[in-house]
Amino acid sequence: MSKVVIITGKNIFSPDNDVSDKILVHMYTKGIRALTGLPKLKDCFRSFLPVRNTIGIKINTIGGKGISTRPNVALCLAQTVSENHGEVGDIIIWDRTNRELREAGYKLNRNGEGIRVFGTDTQGIGYNRNLVSHHNIGSLFSSIQADQVTSSISLAILKDHGLAGVTAGMKNYFGAIHNPNKYHDTNCDPYVAEVFDTSLIKNNHRLTILDALIVQYHRGPSFHSRWAEKQGMLIFSFDPVAADTIGWQIIEKLRAKKGLPSLDEEDRTPRYLKTAEKMGLGIADLDKINIEEVEV
Amino acid sequence: MNRRHFLKTAGTASALTCSGLTSMLIELHAFTQNANLSKVEARYYKKHPDREVECTLCPRLCKLGDKERGYCGVRENIGGTYYTLVYGKACSIHIDPIEKKPLFHFLPASNALSIATAGCNVNCKFCQNWEISQVRPEQIRHADFPPEAVVLMAEKNNCPVIAYTYSEPTVFYEYMFDTAQMARNKNIKNAVITGGHINPEPLMELTKVVDAIKVDLKAFSQDFYTQYVRGELQPVLDAIKIISKSDAWLEIVYLVIPTLNDKPSEIRKMAQWILQEVGPDVPVHFSRFQPMYLLKNLPPTPISTLVDAHDVATQEGLRYVYIGNVPGHKSENTYCAYCHNTIIERIQYHIQKIEIQGGKCKFCGALIPGVWT
Repeated sequence: MSKVVIITGKNIFSPDNDVSDKILVHMYTKGIRALTGLPKLKDCFRSFLPVRNTIGIKINTIGGKGISTRPNVALCLAQTVSENHGEVGDIIIWDRTNRELREAGYKLNRNGEGIRVFGTDTQGIGYNRNLVSHHNIGSLFSSIQADQVTSSISLAILKDHGLAGVTAGMKNYFGAIHNPNKYHDTNCDPYVAEVFDTSLIKNNHRLTILDALIVQYHRGPSFHSRWAEKQGMLIFSFDPVAADTIGWQIIEKLRAKKGLPSLDEEDRTPRYLKTAEKMGLGIADLDKINIEEVEV
Repeated sequence: MNRRHFLKTAGTASALTCSGLTSMLIELHAFTQNANLSKVEARYYKKHPDREVECTLCPRLCKLGDKERGYCGVRENIGGTYYTLVYGKACSIHIDPIEKKPLFHFLPASNALSIATAGCNVNCKFCQNWEISQVRPEQIRHADFPPEAVVLMAEKNNCPVIAYTYSEPTVFYEYMFDTAQMARNKNIKNAVITGGHINPEPLMELTKVVDAIKVDLKAFSQDFYTQYVRGELQPVLDAIKIISKSDAWLEIVYLVIPTLNDKPSEIRKMAQWILQEVGPDVPVHFSRFQPMYLLKNLPPTPISTLVDAHDVATQEGLRYVYIGNVPGHKSENTYCAYCHNTIIERIQYHIQKIEIQGGKCKFCGALIPGVWT
């Protein structure tokens, strides 16, 4: 059995659609506590993030201002980890390019004090030159993921995806490789699972958090405001496949509510989930996933 | 020429090429890391509602939302308009002998100013240039090298040919097309080195401005294209037919990979198809595979396998069949299909002698297919 925790922030959006830092921090602590089942917050974080590790928070800023991980969503997570863990090393919030980070509202911080924020295309970072060949994958990995990060959190936007069906925590790591454009054939299957299965991802991945504060349920991954709906949710799981499976169900519910055909009917079933399950990366069977829902 | 003399000459040629290239790069004010990408509207795509586009340049027909890139990685939908990001952004610039392409019946012993940008619309597991073909333009160094500068450089360096090569020129179509048009006005010829994964309409337009196209036919089975190329065979065959009916000179290369596409039955089928659809005079090169990129587990092609492929194609009636990547092999030479005398003698990329005059065999007067002047 795998466990997925869904935390809904009832009043997370202000009237002008900002997201409250205070409620975000509350959602993170609630989520981690529910996921680990441990009473002390320090123990909660240390149970999956070893001391003095460099924590990478891989966000998703490809959707521009409209549908990217908001800066305070990532920064509040980093702050929550840092304050409660007590002995983390560096924390790096990162994505593919500095341009995308800036467009999503991030202030870059490559070498300064505190939480660092930068893209793979930062001068002197780039891609590790060792070509990783794994099943159907032949890719160079971001030096951030390959050389710096020792514990990785996928803080991914949950959205509909025209090819994969959904894009969530696992596909977020497409942003860690130099050639994601090569892996969108056949509903991105088996590529999403195979990228995740590389040692550089699988061995470092510690936690999936799906940002379902606003969920785009149709015509993704590009932003279309008319198919994006506020859900106010963060979804937590140590099982990357289970987290995405639940994310998929949320998208299907929204699609049904709006009278849209299911992803299966549109021939966009996220098949990578079953492939990932077969590869032993997690659970895609809903009957084997425990869902705990909490409202804050 | 003995082996020592050949190596000495080859070394000198190589040094000259390098020194020429160095000076060119100085003129270009050197490559710049992460230089700005181009934003030139693509010529073959359809606009759809909600800022979506559909690329119609190659058979993939990528459908893309705002901010998404195609499979090639060098074309992007920005706000509902589709742009090429590599127009005038060359990542490779060299002067090569035309024989290196290989084009054996096209201006032999000519130098070709050869350019490429990042990107490719397939993903061959045996790609020898994957470090430029399988990357996005911002991931490698490139020079600002607009069409007029390319043509000027070809003129200054006495290159009668500009070759669009190394990666996949289909993905830098607009850049190639405009450069080719300008080059024509200066009496410089254009050669395209391609996998042939391009749609009929852009290809037909391209054949009007270029002089030679070499197509890499990577196998004669869809299974191989699915597993090792990530592409489709039929569009490549269609492209070959279109080129053969155009004014552009056509040559075909078949990289023979041990155990994957080297069955004599497959080679025979391909030769029969070429004979029927293109005719006996198209040069066909069977090239030797070397392990690289994602196919490092296979050995280099045994020479006997190449000889077998050569013999099968010849038996089927193809008249100009070559073996490539085996320097010094007798099947690097061109033999007159009628009197069988050696009419072009080659050692790797170097021409030792040419016995063709006015497009005819000097020995028997038979017309030799190709572009000779």
